[in-house]
Amino acid sequence: MTEPVSATTSSKDKIREFVLEDFAKPKGVNQITDEEPLMSSGIIDSLGIFRLVAFLEETFKVRIGDEEITHDNLQTVDAIEKLVQAKKK
Amino acid sequence: MAYLLQQLLSRSARAHPDKIAVVARQQSLTYRELEDKSSQLAHLLQQWGLKKGERVGLFFPKCVDSLVSMLGVLKAGGVYVPIDPLMPAERAGYIISNCGVRVLITSREKRMVLSAETLGQMDVCLLVDGTEADAAAGIVAWAALNEQPTAAPKVTLTETDLAYILYTSGSTGRPKGVMLSHQNALTFVEWCAEEFQVRSEDRLSNHAPLHFDLSVFDVYNTLEAGATLYMVTEDIALFPTTQAKFIEDNQITIWYSVPSALTLMVLHARLTVEKLRSLRILLFAGEVFPMKYLRQLAALAPDVELYNLYGPTETNVCTYYKVERERLESLDNLPIGAACANTECFVVNEDGKLLGEGQQGELYVRGPSVTYGYWADPEKTRKMCVPNVFQEHFKEKAYRTGDLVTLAPDGYYYFAGRRDNQIKSRGYRIELGEIETALLSHEGVQEAAVVAIPDEVIGNRLKAFVSLHQPGSLKMVDLQQYCSTLVPKYMIPESIEFYEVLPKTSTGKLDRVKLAQGAKAVTQSAS
Repeated sequence: MTEPVSATTSSKDKIREFVLEDFAKPKGVNQITDEEPLMSSGIIDSLGIFRLVAFLEETFKVRIGDEEITHDNLQTVDAIEKLVQAKKK
Repeated sequence: MAYLLQQLLSRSARAHPDKIAVVARQQSLTYRELEDKSSQLAHLLQQWGLKKGERVGLFFPKCVDSLVSMLGVLKAGGVYVPIDPLMPAERAGYIISNCGVRVLITSREKRMVLSAETLGQMDVCLLVDGTEADAAAGIVAWAALNEQPTAAPKVTLTETDLAYILYTSGSTGRPKGVMLSHQNALTFVEWCAEEFQVRSEDRLSNHAPLHFDLSVFDVYNTLEAGATLYMVTEDIALFPTTQAKFIEDNQITIWYSVPSALTLMVLHARLTVEKLRSLRILLFAGEVFPMKYLRQLAALAPDVELYNLYGPTETNVCTYYKVERERLESLDNLPIGAACANTECFVVNEDGKLLGEGQQGELYVRGPSVTYGYWADPEKTRKMCVPNVFQEHFKEKAYRTGDLVTLAPDGYYYFAGRRDNQIKSRGYRIELGEIETALLSHEGVQEAAVVAIPDEVIGNRLKAFVSLHQPGSLKMVDLQQYCSTLVPKYMIPESIEFYEVLPKTSTGKLDRVKLAQGAKAVTQSAS
């Protein structure tokens, strides 16, 4: 589950941590890089995507529209962070 | 009449050589290119000594060359075995060794996943994305096809020869290979061609992975009609909005998938009648379509013909139901329908007696679409492909589906459940016993039971109950990771609950009913 948000952890750390603990590890993947493909590798599945989006909306207080839930926006930790940063502005 | 699957391609290649046959990942092949390349592959396979009936593994993410591979293997007289590219190395290795693959068509990345032992079994690895050969390692680059003649080699085959083997979950802990002949597949393809009137102007989707039998319709009915196939790759399939855009952009006319892929679009893709305007037929199979979402889909596709197809891999599709829109509101459950052409279904009770209308029993299927059985597993074959005792004058086999059904007064069969521990999740067929065997193979595990928790979007979610030799010695994630080395990701339990001892019935068996009742919804569904 998600750790309490600490002021010193960056957005990317929080995203990486969530993806690693909630998706990667239970599927047998113990480490991920920020460029790791999360969908084509099967780490995140069709329902997982919506759990990920709910996490992002809650943690970063952003709203992600259905039309923004795309491969380009969510395929890696890097891409997810970029999406979140763009939304926060 | 075509009696071999590859004849469907050759015929369309003569009729429409310059038409696009398949599109995927920004690549496409015309019918002529597909015909020529698959013949070139067939020559290459024969040069490597591939004999009639020999198995060739396909282990790479789907792309236009998946079709070249399938057709090339068939033209060489071989049998192709599609292996889930997301499968753990151990399971892929089991399949490869179980059916004696010594020629593997794979990709650079996927080849790296395989163990040295598995690779040691291989004479040749042909890399679809490989550019450099390495003779010492048995690696051949895809460009090697170009040096081969484009006329198909001569092989003598009949419709009763095997075309492909599809592995599905096995209750004893190992996947089992369903053997399918050209005739098995063509019986289904010909019925589809007639029922759905697939034409060369049609644009079909291929949503299912190629190791999943839904893809047989997509691929071979496209080739039969000289139509165009648009492959839905993972960058599209997991994203409902992207998938809806894919349908619109490619003006897809015939879509076939598991219901959950359609439900996720209904829930998240902001569908409109306009976005689905190109469709004329929507087919779904693999699991029960919840009526609530089917009604919503039907409203969004008012002029589209909707079909519920039913059948285990062993029979491909054996019954179908064309949705009667006027009954959508009143139906509580969707029928699985009536038998397809050239197929007979009947319902039998536990004593082997034929049952009539309104009586629930096991569905049996006979006809030319039914499998010969399981590769290298005569015992399981005998259990499932049984003599048809209702055939008095000659020997004939019937397939026991294991599905409990009732024939209703409307003339349609209705699915009522399973007589064993097989379940469906996202259309994937899962034997709970296979996951239990995986858990029990961990040295720290004393007892294990897996139950399915119904989910309205994906059918079922998996929850495991485990007792350990040393309580507290393992965490949930440890066992999930252990499972990931043995079973595909969709078979890893979403949650695991630990007990000191699992509850038993009075006869000492694991009390699955009690476990299932105690199991609350694992997580909230996507809706």
